[in-house]
Amino acid sequence: MTGPTILDRPERRLDGDEKTTGAAKYTADLEVPGALQAAFVRSPYPHARIVSVDTARARSLAGVRAVLTGADVRGQRLGRRLQDWPVLCWDRVLFVGDRVAAVAADTREIADDAVRLISVEYEELSPLLDMDEALRPDAPVLHPDGASYRFLEGRGERPAVPHPNHQGHVLETHGDVDAAFARAARTFEHEFATPRIHQAALEPRAAVVWVEGDRVRVVSTNKAPFNLRDQMAATLGLSKDRIVVDNGTIGGDFGGKGLSTDEFVLYHLAKATGRPVRVVTRYADELTTTNPRHASRIRLRTGVDADGRIVAHESHALFDGGAYAAGKPTARLLVEGGVETLEGYRVPAARHEAATVYTNQVPGGHMRAPGQPQNVFASESHLDLIARELGITPLELRRRNVARPGDPTTTGEPWHGPDLAALLDRAALDIDADRPRPGGRGIGFALGVRHVGRGSTTISLRLGRDGTIEARTGVGDQGGGQHTLIQRIVAATLGVDPVTVRVRRLSTEGPQDPGIGGSRVTPVHGGAALAAAQALKEKLGGRSVAEAAKALGTGEEIVVSAKFDATASDHGACAHAIEVAVDVDTGAVRVLAAVVAVDVGQVINPVGLRGQLEGGFVYGLGMALFEDLALEDGRVRAANLGDYKLPTIADVPPLRIVHLSDGHGVGPYGARSAGELVNPGVPAAVANAVQDACGSRVHTLPITAERVWNALPAPTRRPSGPVRS
Amino acid sequence: MTQHRIRFTLNGAAVDLTVPAERLLVDLLRDDLGKTGTKDGCSVGVCGLCTVQVDGAPMSACLLLATQIDGAAIRTVEGLASPLQEAFISEGGFQCGICTSGQLMAADALLRVKPKATDAEIRDWQMGNLCRCTGYYGIERAIFKARDER
Ligand code: FES
Ligand code: FES
Repeated sequence: MTGPTILDRPERRLDGDEKTTGAAKYTADLEVPGALQAAFVRSPYPHARIVSVDTARARSLAGVRAVLTGADVRGQRLGRRLQDWPVLCWDRVLFVGDRVAAVAADTREIADDAVRLISVEYEELSPLLDMDEALRPDAPVLHPDGASYRFLEGRGERPAVPHPNHQGHVLETHGDVDAAFARAARTFEHEFATPRIHQAALEPRAAVVWVEGDRVRVVSTNKAPFNLRDQMAATLGLSKDRIVVDNGTIGGDFGGKGLSTDEFVLYHLAKATGRPVRVVTRYADELTTTNPRHASRIRLRTGVDADGRIVAHESHALFDGGAYAAGKPTARLLVEGGVETLEGYRVPAARHEAATVYTNQVPGGHMRAPGQPQNVFASESHLDLIARELGITPLELRRRNVARPGDPTTTGEPWHGPDLAALLDRAALDIDADRPRPGGRGIGFALGVRHVGRGSTTISLRLGRDGTIEARTGVGDQGGGQHTLIQRIVAATLGVDPVTVRVRRLSTEGPQDPGIGGSRVTPVHGGAALAAAQALKEKLGGRSVAEAAKALGTGEEIVVSAKFDATASDHGACAHAIEVAVDVDTGAVRVLAAVVAVDVGQVINPVGLRGQLEGGFVYGLGMALFEDLALEDGRVRAANLGDYKLPTIADVPPLRIVHLSDGHGVGPYGARSAGELVNPGVPAAVANAVQDACGSRVHTLPITAERVWNALPAPTRRPSGPVRS
Repeated sequence: MTQHRIRFTLNGAAVDLTVPAERLLVDLLRDDLGKTGTKDGCSVGVCGLCTVQVDGAPMSACLLLATQIDGAAIRTVEGLASPLQEAFISEGGFQCGICTSGQLMAADALLRVKPKATDAEIRDWQMGNLCRCTGYYGIERAIFKARDER
């Protein structure tokens, strides 16, 4: 379905003026009269028993209003699904940065001073820093009381796992995998690894909590306020309707801000002092104590027939979940995008085993397309390696195996969604794949497939006498442009100028909303906006918006509300083609050009969409080339943002985005989601281009000069290079 | 802790106040003067969120002591009126907006002294301003556009 031409109007983002004048109020910008500042005492050890906590000196410091330790909140644990993370630790600390005490004071400086006056005696325990070690039959169990932890929603029961140090575990099979492997002409096996990387939203987390009568008021950077409300209610033993969660403007999320850990103890501090208590996380603490993307190790095995067609596939993926599973909202406690390797290809028989593992490292969480970048790096690198062994081009191998409509995919479900072969062909054409390239230059491909999210929300519309429409929604705007999306869909459907449509975000006092995430906003919130606009249209009964508005008396308005449930299954897809130059003397990689051919269906917000695709590409490029939140002895090495290399404006190559669409997206007007589509494929496309350029195959991210140089085939490698491995 | 009297202009208006010696400019602006358009990200001078103009030059307010701006002219995003702002909106120069004040103050400082800055000079200049959302393409387009339409 093609959208009404009004969708072709230039887009002017609703938050444009406030964000370019400094008027937008983020959580840290809110003025809260009388607010105290909180600070935390954190564990210096990855695994230790707390012997004693002495707070006497901190308590006697002038300006300190409350000091709490784990003993004051014993038994309270937080989390998005499995509540396994202590609000403050009372018996053991499980990672460097785990909290053991909290202070509320008149100023941040006093709170920090008080923290330094608290002395904690620990008895160090031997830490589990490695996934294999954690899964040994005799490994110490990090959560011996795991069976008693609260598991939110559903029947409240956590799926069984084979080892007590598993957070989640799954084994999925379709087809007769062993028989299919037995029929394969050739079988290939490779292993890949990816490090922890950080969401690195540039706005650190912030929150303020106060108690007002019997209400607990929370303003938080959390991107799913209803979920935070429910988590707080469960942990703190309060009824949901006593807690009201609101947002400021959110300064980036990328998945990380689905987990909040401070609000729980802020509540206790607010209750103890009778004052609002706030905290703005220091960036160093963001990097070292919040929930980064899981490090992974993925082993893949694939059998092909004599023509190079995939007949069988299996994967074993381990994700380092760190000390707590609290950051994962999923029912299986996995990073779901990491389970199903070789997405987008015809896979007649497959077995996927995936697990998240408890270790004494910083807890892992969700980050833009959780699990998928790890999976796609492995899968798409694996395909190139297979092609080279078979003596056919990586592009040809993909053409032979890409899923066509109805083909069995790696999940066993038949493929339906964009024309993947057309996307690949277009990316190949635009990168000029057939052009011969000089030595040291190469191109690489990767496919990206991402589900279109599902869920339900309610949006209401109020038409006033002045002819303007206010849309009310529970979803915030972390930068993705969702409010402008709602505005444009309402305007297009009713045939009015978008500037006459405002969007107002409600707190959790409004109707239930799932928040931002899971590639859900376009289908769910866009769908609700469309349903609400259609309901209003119906109510107007043939009159135009302007006519209906004129007929209203003073103070009158027309109100409609629509609950929308997005249930249809669909995928967005893209094909990457990347050209690199490798300096074989140093291994340094330069990305010269990139093409992303995408099918995201009907375009609703051209500016916002372009930003999601471009931003997603550079997000993936950072993972490909730079990002590594390395730990040493359980401690994150990056002490501040200067130590964690993010892409800068100097690092981004020329990028061409090409839209192809079958126009059949299940979202409003045929749209599909875009925010998590592009980043997963970039690291593999770069790695594949590097091998094409110089023969060097990198199995571990990021693709550093050192790794490239070390993997150069012997004749290319010159002895002048680095010697460390 | 010693207190120091400082006098400076903020977006053209005279300010005269007393601050503790260790007060950072970013805190002075945000907490004492309520100018929250200037953001605090990394707090160590690498992200550019706190970029303000000090006598026309872009500087990190998280690295400056308030006492160091005695006698200076300070401009923050609240005092900005530039075609850059509309260009950032039309070209997708922001998403979450947390880096935007800093990007704008840096770019404006360049275009004031070098209205015809080349693409390469613009890229070079903006290197100290991180953006996690846009991938920088929209920021580039916006600055190029503001330059070209001058
Ligand atoms: S906050 Fe000043 S440069 Fe990052
Ligand atoms: S717009 Fe979000 S960091 Fe730049």
